[in-house]
Amino acid sequence: MKRKKALRKNIAREISRTKSRFISIFAIIAISVGFFTGVKSACPSMMETARRYFEEQNLMDIQLISTVGFDDEDAETVRQMAGVSQVMPSYGADLMVREKDVDAAVKVMALPTNGGTINLPLLREGRMPEKGGECLMESYYAQLGDKKIGDTIVFSQAGDMLKHTEYQIVGIADSPMYVAYFRGNTNIGSGSIAFYIMVRPEEFLSERYTRLYVKTDQPKEKFEELSVQCLSRFRVTTYADAKTRLADARREYEKQKKTALQTIRDGEQKLHDGEQEFAQKMAEGQQKLTDGEKELADAKQQIADGTEEAEAKLADAKQQLADARQKYNEGQEQYQQGVTEYNAKIREGQKQLDTAQREFDRQHERFYSVTKPQTEQKLATLQTSINMVNDSIDRVQSAIHRLKNIGLIADEESLYAQLEAYREELAEYQKQYDDGMAQLAEGERQLNDAKAQLDTKKEEFAAQKKQGEKQLSDAKAQLDKAAEQLAAGESAYQTSMLTGMAELQAAQGKIAQGEKELAAGKEELQKQKEAALEQFKQAREQLAKGKYEAHVKLSEAEEQLSEAEDKLSLLEDAKWYVSDREDDQGYAGLSEDAQRVDKVAKVFPLFFLIVAALVCLTTMSRMVEERRTEIGTLKALGYSNAAISAKYLIYAGTAGISGCLVGGTAGVLTLPKIIVDTYGIMYTLPETKLVVAWDSFCLSSLVAVVCICLVALLACRHDLHMEPATLMRPKAPKPGKRILLEHITPLWSRLNFTSKVTARNLFRYKARFLMTVIGVAGCTALIVAGFGLRDSITVIGDLQYGELTRYDQVYALTEAETADRKAYLMAKFHRDDRLSETLLSYMGWCSVGSEASDVVLNPHIVVGENRSDFERMFVLRDRETHEPVALDDSGVVIDERMGEVLKVKKEDRIRVIIDEEPYEFRVSDITENYAGNFVYMTPAYYEAVTGRPVKYNAVIANVAASAKEQEHEIANDWMEEEDVMTVSLISEQVEAIMDTLDSLNVITFVMIFCAGLLAVVVLYNLTNINIAERVREIATIKVLGFYSMETANYIYRENIVLTLVGAAAGLLMGSMLSDFIVESIQMNNVMFAKNVTPFSYLMGFVLTFAFSMLVNFMMYFKMNRISMVESLKSIE
Amino acid sequence: MQKDFVKFENVYKRYRMGEVTITAADGVSFSIDEGEFAVVVGLSGAGKTTVLNILGGIDSCDEGRIMVGGKDISHLNQHDLASYRRYDIGFVFQFYNLIPNLTAKENVELATQICRESLDADTVLDSVGLSERKNNFPSQLSGGEQQRVSIARALAKKPKLLLCDEPTGALDYNTGKTILRLLQTKCTEDGMTVVLITHNSAITPMANRVIRMRSGRVISNVVNPHPLPIDEIEW
Repeated sequence: MKRKKALRKNIAREISRTKSRFISIFAIIAISVGFFTGVKSACPSMMETARRYFEEQNLMDIQLISTVGFDDEDAETVRQMAGVSQVMPSYGADLMVREKDVDAAVKVMALPTNGGTINLPLLREGRMPEKGGECLMESYYAQLGDKKIGDTIVFSQAGDMLKHTEYQIVGIADSPMYVAYFRGNTNIGSGSIAFYIMVRPEEFLSERYTRLYVKTDQPKEKFEELSVQCLSRFRVTTYADAKTRLADARREYEKQKKTALQTIRDGEQKLHDGEQEFAQKMAEGQQKLTDGEKELADAKQQIADGTEEAEAKLADAKQQLADARQKYNEGQEQYQQGVTEYNAKIREGQKQLDTAQREFDRQHERFYSVTKPQTEQKLATLQTSINMVNDSIDRVQSAIHRLKNIGLIADEESLYAQLEAYREELAEYQKQYDDGMAQLAEGERQLNDAKAQLDTKKEEFAAQKKQGEKQLSDAKAQLDKAAEQLAAGESAYQTSMLTGMAELQAAQGKIAQGEKELAAGKEELQKQKEAALEQFKQAREQLAKGKYEAHVKLSEAEEQLSEAEDKLSLLEDAKWYVSDREDDQGYAGLSEDAQRVDKVAKVFPLFFLIVAALVCLTTMSRMVEERRTEIGTLKALGYSNAAISAKYLIYAGTAGISGCLVGGTAGVLTLPKIIVDTYGIMYTLPETKLVVAWDSFCLSSLVAVVCICLVALLACRHDLHMEPATLMRPKAPKPGKRILLEHITPLWSRLNFTSKVTARNLFRYKARFLMTVIGVAGCTALIVAGFGLRDSITVIGDLQYGELTRYDQVYALTEAETADRKAYLMAKFHRDDRLSETLLSYMGWCSVGSEASDVVLNPHIVVGENRSDFERMFVLRDRETHEPVALDDSGVVIDERMGEVLKVKKEDRIRVIIDEEPYEFRVSDITENYAGNFVYMTPAYYEAVTGRPVKYNAVIANVAASAKEQEHEIANDWMEEEDVMTVSLISEQVEAIMDTLDSLNVITFVMIFCAGLLAVVVLYNLTNINIAERVREIATIKVLGFYSMETANYIYRENIVLTLVGAAAGLLMGSMLSDFIVESIQMNNVMFAKNVTPFSYLMGFVLTFAFSMLVNFMMYFKMNRISMVESLKSIE
Repeated sequence: MQKDFVKFENVYKRYRMGEVTITAADGVSFSIDEGEFAVVVGLSGAGKTTVLNILGGIDSCDEGRIMVGGKDISHLNQHDLASYRRYDIGFVFQFYNLIPNLTAKENVELATQICRESLDADTVLDSVGLSERKNNFPSQLSGGEQQRVSIARALAKKPKLLLCDEPTGALDYNTGKTILRLLQTKCTEDGMTVVLITHNSAITPMANRVIRMRSGRVISNVVNPHPLPIDEIEW
């Protein structure tokens, strides 16, 4: 006991002292076991989840669908069958709805009620429908199409299928019948079902059930037998009834048709009569209007004439008036001129008169004031003089006389001469005086004459003036008179004009009135005409509508009748379709997917375990080496070999077992969930039910623990056989040796010092070298395989649908088509510009087997009518050389995967069953293909082998590049065509296939993650050992003055080289591993491409290096911590 | 020749071993002149290896100051200490610590390749009398030869200070003597400052300076003005 206690203590101390070593063994075991158990548990978890789901929702075992439906008696017959536990009649219908501006086909299914418990929906939200007009929506589409409780589904035409056209969603639920997202095909809309809803069964109007769900342990063949019995009964009862009813209906129809047609004819006659009458009345009205128009035109003409005349007269009057006015104006002017002249004359006369007067006055005044006085003065003077002279004469005379008298007078003669002179003078004076007096008198007379003249003139002037004035006033009077006349003329003109105008207006008014009346008349006529026409139109429309409706109804009825007749004829070969769970794509796919995961799970963990064992071996060897002295001591003390090795066994065992437990638990808790959840994206399943693969756990744990214990024993076995004394002596360090490389002098001499050291160190520890290389290679291989798997998957889509399958759509045609009909249809297809190429072909399923293999495949058989079109749509070629593979009349071309599975090569023969008839075909060549299995042949070969003409049943079409967007529209359009049954869009198939394959990505990532973990653990462990073994060496170089980085590089360099070599080896292994995985997980109908892209290799390399660098980084600190003093202490 | 080339001033070094604290250097003070052959002598556990390790820059002191060639090395960081070891110190261990995977010459080259001015590996090996065994691995050499490689490796770096930790401890008498002779020659002929620790007091007469230690303290530091050649010493 005591001994054991000491040993236990020793082990406990050992573990706590060498934590990192313990942990690395623990970790590598945990990862390996965890990964294996986890992945292995994924498949059963998935299967169990599905199994429970199917069990709890009571998924039917057999589904019966009849072309003629079922009645209660059928259901009862099935129920009575041996081995049948439950039968539930139900309904289903495919209807169209408008979803997101696209017509979509919807499957409507009846909920199980009235005691039926088969195919219970799993309610996820809301409640079950409780009354009509309510439905359950499937959860997948609820999310995809954003449908919530309370939304309604509106059917474009519920027709005679359902009671309502609108259904409100009251709950979200899933039917166990649809675990995958493929909702099946239909013969309406674009041919594929978008989603399904579930309604109460009484919502269906159908008298007969459309389907029977059966729970049974019987195979489906039994039900096929049963169908014969039920159908024969159907033929005698229902079918006969229907026939009679149909005949009645036909008679009734013919009668009604006759009546309807008669009614239409009557209506047409009435309409015709009415139209004629109307035309006559219209003509009369038109005539009246024409007359009125003529009258009006005459009146208008008269007015126009009268107006013209009046206008001419007026114009004359106006002209006269104008002349008169001109004359008047001239007179006026003359008068004015006369006045002016007169005034001038008067003024002139007056002026002359005034001048004369003034002259006269001046003369007069001068005369009287100057001339006369002067003259008179002169005269007076003269008088005086005369008097004086007279006196003088007298005196002289007297004197003379005296003298004479006295006689003095000597000279008397002289005195008498003098007196005579005086007398003469006096006479002179007298004469002068007389003259003066005469002059004066003359003057006075002249003056008087002048005055008289002047007066005369004045008189004359006055007379003249008076006369002029009179003339003027006469002229003026004349003018005034003329003006008066003119005014009178003008006024008369004005009056006559006004009168004329008034008359004209009156006439025009009358015309306008007439016109208005006429227009009113016209309008009235028009109105009446329009009203009548409208009435006729309506009548005609009504008639047409009635006629159309009648025809539609009739043709509908006809159609219904003929449909019913067709149906009836179909009823004769009525058929039951029996399907079991395996026939459902989703159900079958689920287990296939699960098994694929399982296959991957088989390959990888093995790898992990190998690496783990190698790592453990190195670790344990190192440990035993370190404890060499201790072993020696114990041996010397007398412990048995078993007791001594027990320590190492227990140490390794503890690490191994705890690793198994922890790793297993962690693996089981995480991986199945991740994997199943990923697949869950493709399937509608309830919460994952975890199933632990105990067998795998036990197996892997056992292998791991046994391995590590063996390794432990192996490690100490060597030491245990040695003498204690030898053991207690320090083990001589492994002597240095020249390596092979050194003998290659040209190369060796070129290496620098550090490279030489590295090279020699690498080869010094061969075991560790190998271990590291294998570990690293494993890691790289896993990463490459992981990425490679992804490459293989993604390339399928690119190659298959990018290079090989070159068509876009497949239109399935209804059967029983005549050749004419097909020719017509093909012509129509050719005319559709949106389709660039069309190929009439036969496409069907067949089953194919071969001599060499037991496997039977169900490939597509494709026979294209036209070879050149076929070659454009189906690229047949050799995978490696890309040489085209010829399809000729001597044999069939099969896809590569089928060749592999059936082990068939060129020139071999395959057994093909088409429409239940067996044939043998010669394989003329094999073509590259990834998705699906295909048998291609020419029509000639088909006919030659089968002896039957090719029943073309499909049109394969390519959408023109310009119409790619409208793919669905085109499909919808063609679905209208009655000969087109369904349309499959390749794009949708691609999506579905890629979805499936994408789920494999998760496995890829799990692989890469685990590979990373593995790499880190392996490298860490080995580097750790490397450092531990060479701690003295490291301390020494530190003492020599190597810096931290230089010291680290001393070790890193080896790690890097090891990683390089390992990674290089890993790339090679990865390529093989990838092939192996692809080989083991590929399906019979999918060929994974075996090409790993350079990117994947690069990633394998780069990631491995990254992990290696991570480890180096972790080691840096460890190396830094190495104490020189401790490490260089004298050897123990 | 620089006086007080190496100078310890009140250096303490304590190790904690669980609850016990061992004072390996308990206020050590001494000095060594340049070019001297100094021997530190004391019993096992007297603290001489601790002193040598601290002096060699592979251990640190807790208190005090160590001056080497006028440079305080007691507070250098890791990198500077590595530089110090690289350029100033040559270390010779009792167990040689040769890299087993490298030949004699390569072991020397391991040291020379990191130094700025190093001696030629071949020359150094010739000088220690190993011309014939240059290309042998350590496992193919005798202890004395290995120690000579070790000394060659230390000398090749042209250190300022050659530190030897019981270089003869694992060797037989004659071989030990040869090694000591080699060291003495290096000191006297090349002027190398050598600090050698030993528990063997008998070899002290060959030293210029003898430092005695006990329980982590220096108990005496005596200069020997007339060191004897190693051949005249017997023990």
